[in-house]
Amino acid sequence: MSLLELKNVSKIYGELKALDHVNIHVDQGEWVAIMGPSGSGKSTMMNIIGCMDKPSVGEVLLDGVDISKESSKKLTDIRRDKIGLIFQQFHMVNYLTAVENVMVSQYYHSMPDEEEALEALGRVGLRDRARHLPSQLSGGEQQRVCVARALINHPELILADEPTGNLDEANENIVLDLFRQLHNEGTTLIVVTHDPEVAEAAQRTIVLEHGRVAREVINENFGK
Amino acid sequence: MTKRRMFLRMITASLLRRRSRMLIALLSIGIGATILSGLVTIYYDVPRQMGAQFRSYGANMILLPEGQKEMSPDSLHETLKLIPEDQLVGATPYRYVRLDMTLRQQSFTSAGTDFSQVQKTSPYFSVEGRYPENDREVLVGKEIADTIGVKVNSPMQLTYKPTVTVSDHAEDDWVAGATLAGSAEGWNNSLVTVTAVLDGDKKIASIEIDASTQTEEYGGRAMTDLNFQKQFIGKSLPLTLGEDVDALTGATVTSTAIVDALNTSRNASQATVAAERTGYFTVTGILETGGEEESYVFISLSDMAYLTGENKLDVAELSISANADQLDAYVNAITEADAGVIPRLVKRVTRSETAVLSKLQALVFLVTAVVLLLTMICVSTTMMAVVSERRREIGLRKALGASDNSIRAEFLGEGMFLGGLGGIMGSILGFVFAQVVSVNVFGSSIMFQPLLLPITVIVSMVIAALSCLLPIKRAVAIDPALVLKGE
Repeated sequence: MSLLELKNVSKIYGELKALDHVNIHVDQGEWVAIMGPSGSGKSTMMNIIGCMDKPSVGEVLLDGVDISKESSKKLTDIRRDKIGLIFQQFHMVNYLTAVENVMVSQYYHSMPDEEEALEALGRVGLRDRARHLPSQLSGGEQQRVCVARALINHPELILADEPTGNLDEANENIVLDLFRQLHNEGTTLIVVTHDPEVAEAAQRTIVLEHGRVAREVINENFGK
Repeated sequence: MTKRRMFLRMITASLLRRRSRMLIALLSIGIGATILSGLVTIYYDVPRQMGAQFRSYGANMILLPEGQKEMSPDSLHETLKLIPEDQLVGATPYRYVRLDMTLRQQSFTSAGTDFSQVQKTSPYFSVEGRYPENDREVLVGKEIADTIGVKVNSPMQLTYKPTVTVSDHAEDDWVAGATLAGSAEGWNNSLVTVTAVLDGDKKIASIEIDASTQTEEYGGRAMTDLNFQKQFIGKSLPLTLGEDVDALTGATVTSTAIVDALNTSRNASQATVAAERTGYFTVTGILETGGEEESYVFISLSDMAYLTGENKLDVAELSISANADQLDAYVNAITEADAGVIPRLVKRVTRSETAVLSKLQALVFLVTAVVLLLTMICVSTTMMAVVSERRREIGLRKALGASDNSIRAEFLGEGMFLGGLGGIMGSILGFVFAQVVSVNVFGSSIMFQPLLLPITVIVSMVIAALSCLLPIKRAVAIDPALVLKGE
């Protein structure tokens, strides 16, 4: 069953076609990597899937709902309810502690619950760092907090933008292990990356070039 | 944890952990609130302060007896009860009477008054020496002092000589001090006039004879012959020539006329009666005012009552620390009380007071408004900087699902929290500020207005909220997608 479907999606900025008649679909529970060089349209696609932008042409079906024509207010609601975001730059609220950063996500979603937030941090191995400010955490720790934040509301889709781009190998492996766990629990993952190793961790890789889907690669080694 | 607690936790964390920027905003709100509460305190206290200052320019209400009625110290006292004690700076009664300075044959307008009140209603009076404190002490106007040459500690004898017309000529009515005058035909049918003053036993104390119409060497001698005149002193009327008084040698006709004139004077339909009282005073001070007071002598009301035998008042000068409306209300109250006292406002004084006060208050209002505007600009600029500093955070919050209203609420919350904190700070500092200004400018301390605390806090919060409107608009416009773009 498909969770996400892009039908003939184009995004045009004046003369530039950032996305050009893109058709992709992602099944429920699937782990997909999106690769491509700079300027291939990855960010634009991320923004559209992440409900932060709308396509110029085409339909975007998320969980059966066409989000390509929704108001930005409605898009905010959908993003909050269905999507967990992970960024390359970690992006934490720098004056809030790790656990508070996780709780911010709960706060916008439903109800802050410190216990649950601490559990989520425990899951990424940072329960003892819960009261630290971002400035007191390493990059890898910050990104793990962001993973905890992304999964706290049990989103249907986790959208990660270069999640390991700023991490060393050890931390990269920790994050990828977390993704594997999430995948095993049935969470749908879309990971945008430059890194072939990260892409290879996914079930399927979609390669973008010049705003078009150049090819799709099924990772035959997945799960082995 | 409730959403509200998380909201407060985020706001306080933002303020506490991002100190420097917020300190600037807090400081500007605090200073604005300080000026606001300080100036408002002064604004409300200025009438009181300035009122007290104005009171040094003299009375602003006078009380007069109504028509033929008399005003007594008691009726004045009753009337003063209509004016709140804390607003009544002073009330000075006056009783004006002409007194003679016995030894110099001069008379002055003299005022009986209450010296403790004079100093309150006319603080600009300048006294060389001191105000009288005891009975039989006198304050002399400078003009009089210069004319008659008295100094501090000079003795001064003051005599009260009322002029009373007695129409009933029964002998018993001639009282001590009565002056009798009569005339009768003497030599050559010309009139001889005699004036006599009676003493306390109704006997002749002094006599004055006008015999200028008579032959100089005979009857005319009556005017100068002291032995002849001495015969009359100590005698009671009527007199008989040859028994009580011997005739002037060679001037029997004139002598007869003199006795007749005196006897006739008893039967005159009118005579003046003088009940004299004399007091022996000591000059304690010379009064300089630059005004007509310098030609008066001032004694205590009790001395005046002793000299005149009457305890009444001609006028009372009141100095009331109140605005024009309140004064009008007191005038009405006194009029309605109908105690035989008519109140009059000294318009010149009350009007100029009102004019100066309203100008001063307008100035304070203007300064406050300008300061608040500046505060708003400063807070707004700071918050604007805060918003651009926190673009990524705002983008992140939106990416995490914050609605525009959540973003608004958070910034407004921070702003109003700062406003409240600055307001409390400003209320306290403002009172200190007003106190310093008051002590230095008006020389008196100021009262703390409890109501001003919530007002200042609320105004500060409103100002802070208004200042946040534009920055919030900016914050809401931030695109969540910006957080996805790498640096």
